[in-house]
Amino acid sequence: MSDQYALYRRAAIDAVIKLDPRTLYRNVVMFVVEIGSILTTLLWFQALTGHGEAPAGFIGAIAAWLWFTVFFANFAEALAEGRGKAQAESLRRMRQDTAAKKLDPGCGIESGMAPGASMYAVVPSSSLRKGDLFYVTSGDTIPVDGEVIEGIASVNESAITGESAPVIRESGGDRSAVTGGTSLLSDWLIVRVSANPGEGFLDHMISLVEGAKRQKTPNEIALNVLLIGLTGVFIVVCASLWAFSVYSVHTAGVGVPVTITVLIALLVCLMPTTIGGLLSAIGIAGMDRLIQKNVITTSGRAIEAAGDVDVLLLDKTGTITLGNRQAVDLVPVNGTDIRELAEVSQLASLADETPEGRSIVVLVKEKYGLRGRTVGPSEAVPGVQFIPFSSHTRMSGVDRGETRIRKGAPDVIFSLIRAAGFPITDELQGRVDAISGAGGTPLVVTRNGKALGVIHLKDIVKGGIRERFAQLRRMGIRTVMITGDNRLTAATIAAEAGVDDFLAQATPEGKLSLIREYQAGGRLVAMTGDGTNDAPALAQADVAVAMNTGTQPAREAANMIDLDSNPTKLIDIVEIGKQLLMTRGALTTFSIANDIAKYFAIIPAAFISTYPALAALNLMGLQNAVLSAVIFNAIIIVLLIPIALRGVKYRPLSAEEALRNHILIYGIGGIFAPFIGIKIIDLLLVMIGA
Amino acid sequence: MVFLLLTLLTGVAYPLVVTVIAQLVFPAQANGSLLEHNGTIAGSTLIGQPFTSPKYFWGRPSATSPVPYNAAASSGSNLGPSNPALIEAVTARVVALHAADPTNTQPVPVDLVTASGSGLDPDISVAAAYYQLPRVARARNLSDETVEGLIAGHIEGRQLGILGEPRVNVLLLNIALDDLATPSSGLAKGNTPAVNGSAYNETTVLGMRGADWLQLLLLVAVGAALIVPLGGFMAKVFTGERTILSPVTGPLEGWLLRSSGVEPDEEMDWGLFAVALMVFSAICIIVPFLLQEVQQFLPLNPLGLGPVPWDTSLNTAVSFATNTNWQFYVPEATVSYLTQMAGLAVQNFLSAAKGMAILVALILAFSRRSASTVGNFWVLLVRSLLILLPLSTIIALVLVSQGTVQTFGGPVTVPLLEPVRDASGNLVTTQLIPLGPAASQIAIKVLGTNGGGFFNANSAHPFENPTPLSNFVENLSLLIIAASLCYTFGRMIGSKRKGIALLTAMTILFIPLAGIAIWSETGGNPAFNALGIDQSSPRGQPGGNMEGKEVRFGIVASAFWSAATTSTSCGAVNSMHDSFMPLGGLVQMVAMQLGEVVYGGVGSGLYGMLVFVIIAMFIAGLMVGRTPELYGKKIEPYEMKLATIIILIPIFLTLTMTAIAVLTGPGTATILNPGPHGFSEILYAFTSTSQNNGSAFAGLSANFFYNLSAAMAMFIGRYLVAVLILALAGSLVRKKIVPASGGTLQDHRPLFIVWLVFVVLIVGALSYLPALSLGPIAEYLIQIGRGVAHV
Repeated sequence: MSDQYALYRRAAIDAVIKLDPRTLYRNVVMFVVEIGSILTTLLWFQALTGHGEAPAGFIGAIAAWLWFTVFFANFAEALAEGRGKAQAESLRRMRQDTAAKKLDPGCGIESGMAPGASMYAVVPSSSLRKGDLFYVTSGDTIPVDGEVIEGIASVNESAITGESAPVIRESGGDRSAVTGGTSLLSDWLIVRVSANPGEGFLDHMISLVEGAKRQKTPNEIALNVLLIGLTGVFIVVCASLWAFSVYSVHTAGVGVPVTITVLIALLVCLMPTTIGGLLSAIGIAGMDRLIQKNVITTSGRAIEAAGDVDVLLLDKTGTITLGNRQAVDLVPVNGTDIRELAEVSQLASLADETPEGRSIVVLVKEKYGLRGRTVGPSEAVPGVQFIPFSSHTRMSGVDRGETRIRKGAPDVIFSLIRAAGFPITDELQGRVDAISGAGGTPLVVTRNGKALGVIHLKDIVKGGIRERFAQLRRMGIRTVMITGDNRLTAATIAAEAGVDDFLAQATPEGKLSLIREYQAGGRLVAMTGDGTNDAPALAQADVAVAMNTGTQPAREAANMIDLDSNPTKLIDIVEIGKQLLMTRGALTTFSIANDIAKYFAIIPAAFISTYPALAALNLMGLQNAVLSAVIFNAIIIVLLIPIALRGVKYRPLSAEEALRNHILIYGIGGIFAPFIGIKIIDLLLVMIGA
Repeated sequence: MVFLLLTLLTGVAYPLVVTVIAQLVFPAQANGSLLEHNGTIAGSTLIGQPFTSPKYFWGRPSATSPVPYNAAASSGSNLGPSNPALIEAVTARVVALHAADPTNTQPVPVDLVTASGSGLDPDISVAAAYYQLPRVARARNLSDETVEGLIAGHIEGRQLGILGEPRVNVLLLNIALDDLATPSSGLAKGNTPAVNGSAYNETTVLGMRGADWLQLLLLVAVGAALIVPLGGFMAKVFTGERTILSPVTGPLEGWLLRSSGVEPDEEMDWGLFAVALMVFSAICIIVPFLLQEVQQFLPLNPLGLGPVPWDTSLNTAVSFATNTNWQFYVPEATVSYLTQMAGLAVQNFLSAAKGMAILVALILAFSRRSASTVGNFWVLLVRSLLILLPLSTIIALVLVSQGTVQTFGGPVTVPLLEPVRDASGNLVTTQLIPLGPAASQIAIKVLGTNGGGFFNANSAHPFENPTPLSNFVENLSLLIIAASLCYTFGRMIGSKRKGIALLTAMTILFIPLAGIAIWSETGGNPAFNALGIDQSSPRGQPGGNMEGKEVRFGIVASAFWSAATTSTSCGAVNSMHDSFMPLGGLVQMVAMQLGEVVYGGVGSGLYGMLVFVIIAMFIAGLMVGRTPELYGKKIEPYEMKLATIIILIPIFLTLTMTAIAVLTGPGTATILNPGPHGFSEILYAFTSTSQNNGSAFAGLSANFFYNLSAAMAMFIGRYLVAVLILALAGSLVRKKIVPASGGTLQDHRPLFIVWLVFVVLIVGALSYLPALSLGPIAEYLIQIGRGVAHV
């Protein structure tokens, strides 16, 4: 609670600072309101001296509420910025200058050997330049962003991801990027600097969350143009109204021309202050929502583009399927009893700690009722020895005395079988091919070199992903699955997951050309990637999300980085992009629709002295029409701050449904809400005897 | 060179062809429908004469000066509905009628006490004839039955059974009366009255009589039936496909372009297109301006008219070149036949054709993908002309058949049946009836949504718009091209339903405008209720607010026309807008202030609408969470910048110029009507000129200030917008076309149509409501306030 309070307090202070016209002029709508506030304040001073155009109390109240209007708009912006500022503070602490062990470029680095103390010099991290090499070891803080060129180590990246589990960083492969400010938990690394001081990931992130570097996005600029245009119209409307009023008084022979105060009040009420005041807050909050989702974007454009995406390229593994295959069936060969196969498979997998291995144990237990046993050296069978799975051998197993049980990839096991002098039977080959053909992965089980059966491993489509894709389809977004699997496997999974299309046996070139093909057809393509070989495709895609665990080239090619390294995040990003645009559109509509009621409030009040018949337009029967309208106009900004910061409620709807809903709520609602609001304010003013 | 050739084509060849055919086929109508009686010319059946003696039937009051029914200067009174001068004048007429026939206590039919739009209305309503029956019978010592029989014999029913009003031609009836007194007359006596006034009692449905509904429905039906063939035809012409007219227009187009040195295949980018447009338009202003200055030295000037004052001449030249056709002059007394046909009517063609060419450039910008050119200005100009020319020829001949004049002969002087005294007491015994090549100019005036009349009273003048049928044809013509272009657009971008969607949006906006105008005018003027005047429509008379309207059209056709002519940028009038009721006038202004996009001018209406579509699509696109795209083209800041400025220009012009006018002496010096209506006159003037409509609250008269300020408003309102439209086209044409996906907002669905209507309405309402509230809205509220007091 006190945190919240501090946030509001700070926002309020910032809102006052933002009244400075030198910064406010960037927001044309609010700048005009401020000029109006200044003018009415001057008129109030004049009225206080007794020469005012209207009672000082009235002008003073209008002036005060006009100031409030600007203040509220600034407050919204400050509040949106405030959320990011706290985050920036903690990030900035990480960026402090640290000591770095810079390697002498001349020194010879031997593969797999940690460099000796003579090979590096300790320098401040700020002196490191792109291309330099440095050495970090357990307990060190990584001084700047870089790419691992030697070694493997576990790194604590919780400072930027919020995840406490350490991640592995190693040279080569897809996990070679390290971020300045994170620290090594074990082992050592030699890293090549990839960014000069001040240009690193952390620096970028800080400026991003602070909103300092926020550039206006194309849609925001276009909307701003429209808002400035409307402001221009209303300035002309109000200025010409003064002339019309003067003439009307002259021709009717009664009444007094409309006062400057009322005209300024009318102008401010008509100008799109609601959206004008909240526009930048909406943008900042959108960026902030993305950061809350642990996604860092390099440009605001990318968020908007995400809202426009027509095609999502999704990696099969991790996005559509669970990261691992699971055992779904056991197929005996050579007349082996199924229970025997189950038992042997279980034994072979007990030492296999991979998800696949565990899934075999689970399958056997659930399907054949064999409970996991503690298999250790016993009286009967001494000398049990487990052979754990390794990606080198691609098999696991157990030796119980003379009995050697193995299970693994067919080619590895086949050579075992042949070595033991058994033939590869047609039956075995047939089973293996059948499983691969159906999109599964076969594992062959042997005992003492004799094949007993085949385990069917299969990709498991994530729960709920089908529905998610159906939603995307309703929103008009096409999903394409990318996989290295063969066509058959890919087709099976694609059908199961409900994607619209797939790219099988995907190569980097294949991905790139697919993206180009879609883009040539005018589509906007989004994709995720992590490997170095994804980089060209990421660079080509309109929205490219790199996994934070990915390689430096991938991260550089992308325009967003997902700190959680969760490929499903792409869908959230699309939704945030859409929500951002929707919020702007909805509040623009609301703001403009509001004007009708304000006319009915102010016009009769302004001209009733000349044409009493205009009282008929005072539909709301207002007593303090002008003041009520101005107060409403200011308060509505405050009331809409939550919507601006949170975004309008997002539901995956078709374009037409979304438009209908928003027109009903913000268009029709926007016409009627101020009639009620202004009337209530007027009643309150009457009650307090204004 | 192009200009010269096109002038020869549209300014010389076209009127000549129409005249020759007209003189051969319809000689009587083309030469003024002159009435031969006992071997001498007794007048024109289409031009009314003044009658004041009790023994004659009196016609409509006429507001022409210096004498009533001065055919040389047709004009309405332009008195506003709340003007005390109007109430006074009407009261005086009622008193005069009562004085001439003290025993008659029936309510007075409204058309008998309200001035006609042209000042030359030849007709009165059936009820107005019967009202005068006892007086005339007594004055002539004839039996009521005799006179009644005569009236019955002179009742002209509705044309084709549904068009216009049943009416009686006053001149013909009075001549017949005189003949009755002379035994030699061949007229049969003692006809039993087959019809009397009560037979014309009709029932009304929702305030309109059956025939009124039918004539509106017929107009809508004929219009709807024409949209597809005409729209399709235009699309074919623009894209250079074969049409039924190709055997004639093909070679003509080729010859025109070749002779002008235009390479038809050379496409232009928007900049070059705009330069061509502006250079050509400069000539289009300079030539008519000079023609007016030297017309005294040129032929076809039967009245020997001298040079036009330079400010008027400039205003007129700009006015016609911008498709506005605002007329700050009395044509029949200011410009020669040559100036009219070779100077002004040519601009009627060219300004409309320019509008169409600009529209086609914008359409091409939508339909082409990643291109850089938007068509060839000269080719599109010539093709547009070749659409307008054949249509105009047909319409012109139809009009001649109804009595629209088409001759190079000079004016005709006819005797007045009853000589009158002018304001200074001099006896006037003759009527000078001006003629001229009117039909050819009027056809393009309506087809090209120009609106500039051959005569001062425009389409209220019996020689411009002689019958209900001609009125029907003209009203249809002024709507049809602008409406059909929506279909053309749909065809050219490859989705007819998108074109139909825009047409639907326009129609949704138009129906309430027309409806309110009709409702307002049929309601009549509450100020007349206390004067013993009958304003109800079912009793053998049009009823309603007849001030400034012609009997042959009645209320509904006049009010509908007023909404149509202001919604399209035509501006031709068949009744005097200044004398409409406040709400009727409000409708006219609102129709223009919506941006002249409800059908709008030919070309300009649709390109204006497309700008609104961009804005509507932008906001709607945001609301569905996608960067807005229209017809596959992404809308980006640059387009929004242009679209916003285009929408702002007329608003800016109208309000600023009106503000300047009301604050300055010259601006307020020539207002006719007092109170809010006077303000409306100025607001209307700048609304009309900034939006290139050209109709007027004509009570406001010209002076140096208005000639120049209106010329400026017209010029900026037309050409700045046109150049920006071309810039928009230039930017759109470069974009690739994004194929529609499930996430694309469908721009032809009902929801988007409704949204578009909403955006157009709200932009118009927000910009003009304050100004309108000090004009027609205040006038209306004051009036109903008074009405309540009377009840």
